Amino acid sequence: MMDVGRHPKVELFTNSEVENVTGFVGNFNVTIRKKARYVDANECTACAECAKVCPVAVPDEYQQGFSSRKAIYMPFPQAVPSAYILNMDNCLGNNPIACGKCADVCEKHCINYDDQDELVNIEVGVVITATGMDVYDPTEYDEYGYTRFDNVITSMEFERLICAGGPTEGHFIRPSDRKIPQKIGFIQCVGSRSQDGRGNPYCSNICCMNTVKDTLLLCDHYPGVEAKVFYMDMRAFGKGFEDLYMRSKEEGVKYVRGIPGDVVEDPETRNLLLTVENTTTGKLEKHELEMLVLSQGVIPRQDGDSIRKLLTLSQTSDGFIMESHPKLKPVDAPTKGIFIAGCVESPKDVKDSVTQASAAAARASILLNAGKTKIEAITSQVDTELCNFCGICAKVCPYNAISASDRKAEKPPTIIAAACAGCGACAAECPQDAILMRHFRDEQIMAQVEALVKDDPEKHLLTFACNWCSYAGGDNAGTARLQYPTSSRLIRTMCSGRVDEKFVMHAFKMGAPMVLVSGCHFADCHYINAVHWTQKRMDRLWNKLDKLGIRVDRLQLEWISAAEGQKFAKVMRELEERVQTVTDEEIEHTKKVLAEEEAKAEAKKKKKAKAGAEVSA
Amino acid sequence: MAPKQVRFKCLMCGHEYDGMYDHENVTERSCPKCRSNSIRRLPDAKVAKS
Ligand code: SF4
Ligand code: SF4
Ligand SMILES: [Zn+2]
Repeated sequence: MMDVGRHPKVELFTNSEVENVTGFVGNFNVTIRKKARYVDANECTACAECAKVCPVAVPDEYQQGFSSRKAIYMPFPQAVPSAYILNMDNCLGNNPIACGKCADVCEKHCINYDDQDELVNIEVGVVITATGMDVYDPTEYDEYGYTRFDNVITSMEFERLICAGGPTEGHFIRPSDRKIPQKIGFIQCVGSRSQDGRGNPYCSNICCMNTVKDTLLLCDHYPGVEAKVFYMDMRAFGKGFEDLYMRSKEEGVKYVRGIPGDVVEDPETRNLLLTVENTTTGKLEKHELEMLVLSQGVIPRQDGDSIRKLLTLSQTSDGFIMESHPKLKPVDAPTKGIFIAGCVESPKDVKDSVTQASAAAARASILLNAGKTKIEAITSQVDTELCNFCGICAKVCPYNAISASDRKAEKPPTIIAAACAGCGACAAECPQDAILMRHFRDEQIMAQVEALVKDDPEKHLLTFACNWCSYAGGDNAGTARLQYPTSSRLIRTMCSGRVDEKFVMHAFKMGAPMVLVSGCHFADCHYINAVHWTQKRMDRLWNKLDKLGIRVDRLQLEWISAAEGQKFAKVMRELEERVQTVTDEEIEHTKKVLAEEEAKAEAKKKKKAKAGAEVSA
Repeated sequence: MAPKQVRFKCLMCGHEYDGMYDHENVTERSCPKCRSNSIRRLPDAKVAKS
């Protein structure tokens, strides 16, 4: 942190928040709110005179509430800049000044009660998001008594108690009587790998090794201490981790395979009594401990929503930020020029965070050094003649690549090619068909529909499959040699969001008995959230079919990931059976109804064009 | 538009069920009975009629 603060090429904004991000790769404009700190950080020498006279005492967040701090304080000993900060919520008041003691004693006159937030605009070429994580609050697991028993603490609290710079100067004492405990227990996976609706279903990755480290610290500081770890599985998979785990066992730490169901406190001794089924022996055991540490899991940052929206980042189902590709682009966000590092992406330890941060920095510098970037071949383009300035496309684009149109000024939208990822959602949603998708133009896809249903259309299921997931799912089914009917005809689009209503209607008009639209699961969408538009469009299409008296189940929707070859084959088999239920009469009726609809729409269009021509004449 | 309770129908197995729908934040749908994703949000008028 110190090095970062001192680096001539790094400008560090502390106590600041990103308020807005606009632009695109190479040309981001970031608005930062530098919050008022009420202390001139350049002048402050961190002499601490101000804190000595401040009459306010509040729990110190950094010390997990084990000690107190003043309203004017140093956030933590290694804070950068090494200067005090005044928390106005804690201060007795500056308007009018109710106290003013700190300003009186500050010889350097650093304190300014009228300090204001400042908005700063900076231009940057790339953005690396490393906003970190939060820790799980174990109060939900009431059976462990975290809120009821003083001697039940969390692993974060343990960290402060054992730290030389902590509230007890590294003396590990129990809160109830300030004595050094001799029997300490650790419960693993608190809030992680949970299937009962509490906590999270994923593994928090770091807690096993954190506990192993904690037990070694205890054994080192207090030889003879009795430590027990209650666990489901010990996951020691990193370099040197197994050795540490073995060392901990050699030091005498007992590892009990089983998670306690209940913790009670002996009111006299304030000791904790645990009941646990040891799944190795199959026996029910009772353990008496003087202190209990809950190994709390890692959760996504709870205040990360705004930054996620500003940077058009997408989330996986667990709430962490999704990478562009889990294997090939693990530090790239889906939006070009934005990278991710550390626990914002998933729970990870320091080494992995540093590795990822280095990778993100390297990826970012490739772009910065090149000074230019290749744009996607598949991007969209507005036909300004056709556009009626409705503004829908700008709302649809997951990448904010389209600047808003202006109906009054008759100004069509502009598409920033460097920001467009080519999902095609805008082209599918544009009511005027005014957006052209390079390489996936309407005419090209319509021609494919026609070609595929030309011969024996009544026998074929027409499937639209997205490039990244469903089409790859089909490949997966093929390479796994899974059996499925060969009657399906596939059209590949980059995203299911590209599947225009008119492609589906055209297939039915050409005599297709059934149409399947398939795409990525929401959490896997390669275009942030373009699949949302697929879902909305499908609702509209089903309603339309219903109104026209066409069986709605002839249009199906499935989310199939690249790994779901089994699902792909199953869906194909099921839909093949359903194709058989569509009668020739139904197909003829559909063709007739849709031809009539098309004729009506055409007549309406002509009438409108004629009226327009008369007005201008 | 605030999230609201709507009726969904699975177009694979016909199962109908109630669920929340948020126009601003559409979520992935899957039939609780057959796991199909062909879940139609029935229009309000249709639900009222039935
Ligand atoms: S959606 Fe189509 S018509 Fe509307 S502003 Fe965009 S390009 Fe123009
Ligand atoms: S194709 Fe997709 S990414 Fe490109 S402008 Fe249209 S909606 Fe945005
Ligand atoms: Zn179903």
